[in-house]
Amino acid sequence: MRSAALRSLGSLALVAMLSACGTSTSTTTSSSGTTSASSAPAGGATTVAIGVDMPLSGDDASIGVPTKNGVLLAIEEANKAKALPDGFTLVDKTLDDAVQGKHDPAAGAQNVKTFIADSSVLAMVGPFNSNVAQSEIPLTNDAGLVQISASNTNDGLTTGDNAAKLRTSHPDVNTYFRDCTRDSRQGAALAAFAKKLGWKKIYIVDDNETYGKGLADIFDAQFKAGGGTVLGHDHLTQGQQDFKALLTKARASSPDAVFYGGNTSTGGGLLRLQMADVGMKATPFIGGDGISDQQFITTAGAMSNGTYYSFAAPEPSKLATAQAFIAAYKEKFNEDVGPYSANSYAAAKIIIAAIAKGIKDNGGKMPTRADVLKNVAATSNFDSPIGKIGFDKNGDTTAPILTIRKIQDKKAIFVDQIILKS
Amino acid sequence: MDVFLQQLVNGISLGGIYALIALGYTMVYGIIELINFAHGDVYALGSFVSLAVLALLGVQDEVHGAALIGVIVLTLAGSMLACGLVGVLIERLAYRRLRNAPRLAPLITAIGMSFILQNVMQLWKGPSPVPVPQFIPNPTLFHSGAVEIQLKQVLVVALAVVMMIALQTFVTKTRMGKAMRATAQDRDAAQLMGININTTIALTFLIGSALAGTAGFVSGVYYGTAVFNAGFAAGLKAFTAAVLGGIGNIAGAMLGGFLIGLIEALTTQFISDQWANVVVFSVLVAVLIFRPSGLLGESLPNKV
Repeated sequence: MRSAALRSLGSLALVAMLSACGTSTSTTTSSSGTTSASSAPAGGATTVAIGVDMPLSGDDASIGVPTKNGVLLAIEEANKAKALPDGFTLVDKTLDDAVQGKHDPAAGAQNVKTFIADSSVLAMVGPFNSNVAQSEIPLTNDAGLVQISASNTNDGLTTGDNAAKLRTSHPDVNTYFRDCTRDSRQGAALAAFAKKLGWKKIYIVDDNETYGKGLADIFDAQFKAGGGTVLGHDHLTQGQQDFKALLTKARASSPDAVFYGGNTSTGGGLLRLQMADVGMKATPFIGGDGISDQQFITTAGAMSNGTYYSFAAPEPSKLATAQAFIAAYKEKFNEDVGPYSANSYAAAKIIIAAIAKGIKDNGGKMPTRADVLKNVAATSNFDSPIGKIGFDKNGDTTAPILTIRKIQDKKAIFVDQIILKS
Repeated sequence: MDVFLQQLVNGISLGGIYALIALGYTMVYGIIELINFAHGDVYALGSFVSLAVLALLGVQDEVHGAALIGVIVLTLAGSMLACGLVGVLIERLAYRRLRNAPRLAPLITAIGMSFILQNVMQLWKGPSPVPVPQFIPNPTLFHSGAVEIQLKQVLVVALAVVMMIALQTFVTKTRMGKAMRATAQDRDAAQLMGININTTIALTFLIGSALAGTAGFVSGVYYGTAVFNAGFAAGLKAFTAAVLGGIGNIAGAMLGGFLIGLIEALTTQFISDQWANVVVFSVLVAVLIFRPSGLLGESLPNKV
């Protein structure tokens, strides 16, 4: 009797708990709408909005906010320089896609629906994370809203079967562009870099997300192809906190380094931190742009030293063309640029130019989203802080570049810049 | 072989934390037959309270000698006290009035309390993992081949065992413990015998939640971070531990906790990290189906 009651209570409780958890993530969507728009500006000007979708709270904020700021700066400069004809004002419509501190595909999709519903939004910049893009591209494809991401690196977003599947409503139309390069290049460059450092045996861990697993799989294949040995390849589970068993297993195979495919918010920081507890203090750690945020250093503390990471953008400080941007950014936000600030600035610039051309072609009237899309797709040799950008037919940048940094004394230091052929 | 032994050490340390949380689940279930789902979040709160106490004491780095003992005692006491009081508050607000309501009602308020606590912690310290100052030196106490046992691992297990023995003694040897057992056995009869039911149940929540506070302190020390939603996964696993050992049974909760920790570590080693949760929760399902009374059974005299 008692045990039967316990049994039903226990199973009921589990179901209730799990479903309650499921709904919580979608209902607590903290879309902190920080639209700096005044919908009816003085003088009867027409407002044109650029949607910005980034993770702006929690762990991901330390990388999402500097990326968002790039867009804000571009908009401010464009308004000052009167980049749009008289009577048009640019504003941003910024939404947060982080739920409980972590980027969330469902929240991103919701934000895109908000942009689509707002007729003043002619284009959007974002999202930051590849799995969020995965849920947004079908929506922008359906609505014909152009989006440029500054930081999505997963290959499947632009190429192959997966990209074709994302273009559900209009298979022949591409609304998704990015001005950073892809993980097939990032993974290959990291594998080549690991080989250059003399590492022969590597243990791979990823966070099992679109981006993290994608990057880790490419690294895995490329490192093996280059003659290296992959000792093991494990995947983390969501919300995991204890990595000691996993790291003990990794240590037993005595790797030269541990590779991590994923974000800080999905376990990267804690994984690195706990390496100290299992006697892997001296083992280097290497990852992609997912750990290029300040939060990684905050979470891992002193253990962040000895970490290498890449990101799919140029090192702004090494570019002559980026100096004016860096100075303007520092003046406006009073902080250094993030890894993808220059990319998002360039993305916004491309959109603004496309809107300006659209207005001109439309005889001084508000252009349609289709006009803006057409102009963005035709971008080539566009002058930006990160060089001359154009898009190929898949929406990928024609000027791929990668940067590798190392963390020393809890500071990220430039190591190498790799210019790739498109 | 060395790796196997090291994973045993990892598993037992992790199990110590589960065991401490499981004790609270089991006590509350024993006395009012409610699965207190806010319990996992009380555990997470323990880490945050420890963090606050350490900030108050101005501790940022390793502390040595007598000061170390002082810091440990103060932090642990602060965490236990705060969590204990929060537990009493939860019982008073969310469960007491529903004591005779259908079972589903307090279960739902329990889930509600769980989310309230989570969100309060998120508002307090933000959603990122917060670093906890590593004030306890962590020398390797035992070293043989590749097997290492560190001070913190010993601390986790020792605290869990000491707490369990203290609890068992309290429940079996003291008058209050006797009142708890009587209430657990038959609430109405106990009331007729002059036992103050409300006080007894509140005391159960105080002790159970204080143990979760202990677990929170230990986890902050052991992992070096506090995360606002850590209580969810840990709570579910501790609940599994309580069921595995025989819910309502104190020694069973401890045994279950260590077993779940071991299952997790060994699954990670020999199958894959990804399968750890699958295996742990398969154990929950299997126990509920084939041996709902758990390994040690919910023998009534020990129940509470």
